[in-house]
Amino acid sequence: MIKLDSVNKYFGSHHVLKDVSLTVAPGEVVVIIGPSGSGKSTLLRCINYLEEIQKGRIAIEGRPIGLIEKNGKPTDMPQKDINAMRAQVGMVFQNFNLFPHKTVEENIIMALITIKKLKKQEALEEAHHLLKKVGLLDKAKAFPDNLSGGQKQRVAIARALAMKPKVMLFDEPTSALDPELVGEVLSVMKELAGEGMTMVVVTHEMGFAREVAHRVVVMDDGKLIEEGSPAKIFFDPDNPRTRSFLKKVLEH
Amino acid sequence: MQLNFLVLFEGNNMSFLVRGLWVTISMTFLALILSSAIGLIIGLGRMSKNKVVSGVCSAYLAWFRGTPLLVQLMILYYGLAIGMQIDLSASMAGVLGLGMYSGSYVSEIVRGAIQSIDRGQMEAGRSLGMSHWQTMFKVILPQAVRRMLPPLGNEFIALTKNSSLLSVITVSELMREANLIVSSNFRYFEIYIGVAVMYFIVNSSISQGINFLERKLNVEGR
Repeated sequence: MIKLDSVNKYFGSHHVLKDVSLTVAPGEVVVIIGPSGSGKSTLLRCINYLEEIQKGRIAIEGRPIGLIEKNGKPTDMPQKDINAMRAQVGMVFQNFNLFPHKTVEENIIMALITIKKLKKQEALEEAHHLLKKVGLLDKAKAFPDNLSGGQKQRVAIARALAMKPKVMLFDEPTSALDPELVGEVLSVMKELAGEGMTMVVVTHEMGFAREVAHRVVVMDDGKLIEEGSPAKIFFDPDNPRTRSFLKKVLEH
Repeated sequence: MQLNFLVLFEGNNMSFLVRGLWVTISMTFLALILSSAIGLIIGLGRMSKNKVVSGVCSAYLAWFRGTPLLVQLMILYYGLAIGMQIDLSASMAGVLGLGMYSGSYVSEIVRGAIQSIDRGQMEAGRSLGMSHWQTMFKVILPQAVRRMLPPLGNEFIALTKNSSLLSVITVSELMREANLIVSSNFRYFEIYIGVAVMYFIVNSSISQGINFLERKLNVEGR
C-alpha cells in the first residue's frame, strides 16, 4: 500500500531522514514511536508530501508521489498530480487544524464540494453519516471553537475520512489533548483499525500501540532503528536504544 | 475681521462644498476598490515562489510607497500629458493615482494578515487534496480578511484624507471647492473648519462601518 524506499530529507544542512525504508501492507496499522526530534513526524508528513524529500522514492499503491524520475534525474511531480495523490491520503494533525470560520459540517464538506464536485446535499448527507460515526452528529452546526479538544479531533478524523482515503496518517493525534479526552479519540481510531483501514500513526500512547498496532517502528536520529510486533518491541527489543527509550517512556 | 460661520451658507457656498464632498466621496470610493484589488494582487504576488512575480511586486511596493503621492499625481496628470502625450482626465488620473499609492500599503496589510494565519490551515487544506489557490481562497483569505479590517480602516481613512491632494491636479473635490471659495471671500478659518468637519464626518462613518464589519465577522466565526 505504502512503500518508502531509502528516503532522505534535509532541512538545510540538517539531515532529518537518513535512508528510511518502510512498507505498509493494506489494512495494516503501523505505529511509529521514538524520542522527540527523531524524525517520526517528518517521515509521516513525507508520505503525503507535505514535506519534500531530496532523495529516495515514495509510492502509494504502486504510484509514486512527489519526487519522480524525469529524463533520469529526480524532479518534483506537477502540483496537480500531487494534489490528486493527497486526496487519497487522509491526515490528522496534532493541532486539529479545523477551519475556524466554518461550522463542523462545512469543514467536512469543503473538500467534497471543491474536489469531488459533490452537490451540497449529497456532501451534507456524507458529512452527517461520518459525524454519526464519530458520535458528534449533534455538533454538525457548531463552530470548532465551541468544541472540546477531543471533539475537534474527532471532527478532524471525520473530515479526513470524507475523502474516502486509502490510507490514514495520524500525527500525534492525542498530544494536544487533556488526559481525560484522549480516550474518545483513541476509541474512534481503534474502530477505524477494526474496519481494516490502513493506518500510520505517530504517537506517544504506548497503550494504543500495544493494543492496536500490527507493527511498531522505532525511529532515532532520523533512522529506522527497529521494527517488529508490539510484543517484540515492548517486551523483548533487540536495540539497546529502543530499550532505553522505552524505559524512559514507560517508567511514568 | 469678526468670525462668522454663517459665511458657509452665504450665496452658493454650501452647495459648492456639498458638490465637492460628493466628488471626494466618489473618487475615494473608486480609489478604494482599485486599491483593494491592487493590494490583493501585489500582496499575494510578493509571497509567490516565482522570483519574477515576487520581484515585480516588491518593486511596485518600493516605488509607490517610497515616493510622495503628490509627486505621483503630478507625474500622472501633467507629466504623462506633456512628456508622453498620454492625456488622462483629472478624475481618471486622480483615481489611478490614489488607488495605486494606497494599493501599495494595502498589499502589506494583505501579506501580513495572510502570514499571520497558522501554517497548519494551509497544510490541512492541502492534505485534503485542495490546491494552494483553492485553500488560499476558501480557507486562508476568509480568516485573513478579519485580521485585515483594523489596518484597512486606517488605510481607507488615510485615503480619504489624501484625496484632498487631488485639488492640485484640478479635480473639483472638496478641498478645491473650498480653495475657490476662500480666494474670493478670504474667510479661511470658517471655510476650512467647515471642510475639516466634513472630512471628519466621512472618516467617522468609515470607522463605524469597519467596526460593524468586524463585529459581524467575529460573531459568525464563533
